[in-house]
Amino acid sequence: MKYLRLIFRNIGRNPLRSSLTSLVTIVLVFVVTMVWSILWLLNIVTTEKSENFQAMVTERWSAPSHMPLSYAEVLGRGAARNPGDVKPLDSMTWQFYIGTLDPKNPSSKNVIFSIACDPDKIAAVKEGKFATMMDGLESLPDAQEAQVLADVAKLKDTPRGIIVGQNHLKTTNKRIGERFKLTGVSITKGLDLEFEIVGAFPPGRYDTMAVFNREYYNNELDAYPRTHNGQKHPLADRSLNLMVLKVADSAAFTRLASQIENSPELSNPAVRCETMASGLASMLEMFRDLIWAMRWMLAPACLATILLVIANAISISVRERRLELAVLKVLGFRPYQIMVLVLGESLLLGTGAGLISAALSYGVINWWMGGIAFPIGFFDRFMVPADAFWWGPVVGGLAALLGSFMPAWTARNVKVAEVFSKVA
Amino acid sequence: MILELLAVAVALMLLLWGIGKIPLSYNLRNLTVRWKTTLMTALAFTAVIALLTVMMAFVGGMKKMTEGTGRPDNVLVLSDGATDEVISNLPIGDLSEIENLPEVARAEGRPLASREAFMVAIQSAPTPSGGRPKRRILQLRGIEDPRLTAWIHDLELLPGGSWFSEAGVQEAPADGNNGNTPAPMIQAVLGEGVARELGRDRTAEQLAAANNPDRLDVGDTFTLGDRTWIVVGVLDSADSIFNSEIWAKRSLAAAVFGKENYTTLVLRAKDAEAAKRLKTFLAEDYEKAALNPKVELDFYKDLSETSAQFSYAIGFLAIVMSIGGIFGVMNTMFAAVSQREGDIGVLRLLGFNRRQILVSFLLESLLIAMVGGLLGCAIGSLSDGWTASSVVGGHGSGKFIVLQLAVDAEIIATGILLSLSMGLLGGLLPALSAMRLRPLDALR
Repeated sequence: MKYLRLIFRNIGRNPLRSSLTSLVTIVLVFVVTMVWSILWLLNIVTTEKSENFQAMVTERWSAPSHMPLSYAEVLGRGAARNPGDVKPLDSMTWQFYIGTLDPKNPSSKNVIFSIACDPDKIAAVKEGKFATMMDGLESLPDAQEAQVLADVAKLKDTPRGIIVGQNHLKTTNKRIGERFKLTGVSITKGLDLEFEIVGAFPPGRYDTMAVFNREYYNNELDAYPRTHNGQKHPLADRSLNLMVLKVADSAAFTRLASQIENSPELSNPAVRCETMASGLASMLEMFRDLIWAMRWMLAPACLATILLVIANAISISVRERRLELAVLKVLGFRPYQIMVLVLGESLLLGTGAGLISAALSYGVINWWMGGIAFPIGFFDRFMVPADAFWWGPVVGGLAALLGSFMPAWTARNVKVAEVFSKVA
Repeated sequence: MILELLAVAVALMLLLWGIGKIPLSYNLRNLTVRWKTTLMTALAFTAVIALLTVMMAFVGGMKKMTEGTGRPDNVLVLSDGATDEVISNLPIGDLSEIENLPEVARAEGRPLASREAFMVAIQSAPTPSGGRPKRRILQLRGIEDPRLTAWIHDLELLPGGSWFSEAGVQEAPADGNNGNTPAPMIQAVLGEGVARELGRDRTAEQLAAANNPDRLDVGDTFTLGDRTWIVVGVLDSADSIFNSEIWAKRSLAAAVFGKENYTTLVLRAKDAEAAKRLKTFLAEDYEKAALNPKVELDFYKDLSETSAQFSYAIGFLAIVMSIGGIFGVMNTMFAAVSQREGDIGVLRLLGFNRRQILVSFLLESLLIAMVGGLLGCAIGSLSDGWTASSVVGGHGSGKFIVLQLAVDAEIIATGILLSLSMGLLGGLLPALSAMRLRPLDALR
């Protein structure tokens, strides 16, 4: 305890230096936390799951994937043809709709990406449990689960209803219950849809995604020829973009994938069946160098800078306190105790600054900035996870410990006679 | 602009030196005597600046690629509503009429027009042992006459290559194992970037036997869709988006990937003004089909939205990391001031005034920043020429690219300027505190 008090007193002795060292650590741990928050989510979505195992079916050779809607029925039964074939536990169709709030000047700021699907697949209660086919919604807190279920119930009752992401509420400047119109762009050009906001996804993964009734979308596709001289919409025969299938485990997935990829009913166009994690990892492959640079350049450079700054601060401190360290030795402190004293000061500074940084990152990024805006693949924004509360202190503490090792070693080896001879 | 700012900064440093009076050798000796502290502070600058240089080189490469593609006298025609080539679907019947419009330039009696079908193909990449299946997104451009298309896009082949033949295929060697005759190989011309990307798949034995260990070259084969493709040429396309494309006979590529119609029509107008007129005519007055024409240069410029986003991200990181750097140098300089209070007292008694003390400490801080910044720029410059893959896009369109990182004078200047700014801001407070010391207090 006495020892700890001594450490605290030493830190407080030069408040300016301690503050500046802490500030550097806070700022750079903030950057590391940002980088790791992005990598953390990407790692989660690309890691194969043991529960809620999902497969993704897309067009085999071409992107963007466009399959006939008739594939939905075949895929829904896992293309099972023979007795004993594996069937998926559940399935969900994804039909993409892209519309803009400002048809005269469509830009990323006013374009909304949405999915037409069966509302029951977004969330439902099955056998008394919350069930979802949307990756990431399965681990919501109870209150948010209840809210999603309530929103889905409203969506089922409102043919033109839409559940939007948190970002859409800001983009459209609308509140739940209000209406807006989207003009189809890109592949959905010619399909203009009106929506009523019935709910919003909880903050996080689906901030930039919206979902609405597939019936509304398919009815509009069917009605298209009536207003376009009998011509079908280009998407009419290939409006299914993706199919998500739920399977029991990886063994069932392997058999199901084989059934689907070899099915004669799914040969034109041919399809690919892969695990959701594998599919997302493939999409992120386009950004592999960027992710590599974040993981192996940006974060290490920040850590190296923290290390250097702390090493510098502690070595200055040791140099200034050579006389005091010599006195401590005369008073009976053992070399390792001197070393621990110096390391302790540094560790305390680094850990404390790391914790403050983590708390600041969590608050500033999640509540003030609304997440880290970093559009990559399907993701637009990244939130700082609660795990940052242990990353911060560990990163700050470890960097401090490493940075102060050499100065602490110097302090340990202070020669009493040498110091006092200089004083004399 | 950046270069001018750097010149101003260096001029200011020289001015400070000029009015400083305290010999620079004094500062240099202080820096060398405390070389460990100096080195560690400078290295912190080095880490920050080296990282920023690499990031700026990445954005620089991306910008160079998007801004280096396209010509002001080319008009790129997509179908109405298509913001990207991949979702465009041009009606075949109308193309001849458009190609023969008076604004379109002609050579040897035929219009300079390239009919193209742009496709995004998925390739199964080799799976690492024990790893999960990998796939890769590739961009394929189906064309009719490769010479004409290359001429319109200002592209040439690297030595040793040739364009694909009229048939677009060549016979595959017979399969010795079962005697079956394999399907003919599709001839392809590759952009240099995609050739490098595909070259990564080769096994050690293939690499040992390869003509070019860095990338696929003429005669090499790869699999895409359910066909084998053979490289007949490699495009000299380092600074262009086409660097990441595979070109092949349209009818063959379309059959593999189910793309029936053309996606793009590229027209060479007589000049840039004619291109603008042509674009306006096709957008507003052409009645036979709804089209989305764009001057080619503008189309590729629009793809730079991603590089703008990356620039903002780098700007944000630069600010945050600079704050760290400022606190770091401040720490060092405050320590220098406290260690040299006696020196300051003596200097004041020798007749040096407060302003000269301020300048002396500022110069010291700037010198550390300059050394750290230069070293950081030097290390960051090593990234010049590295290749990296990414996606560029904007206004609803996007392309996968293999780019080369490019470090230019502006990036170096930005790095040094940023370093000097950190040195100035970090050194100012300690220098002010040194300036305010009273001679007798300092000596006590």
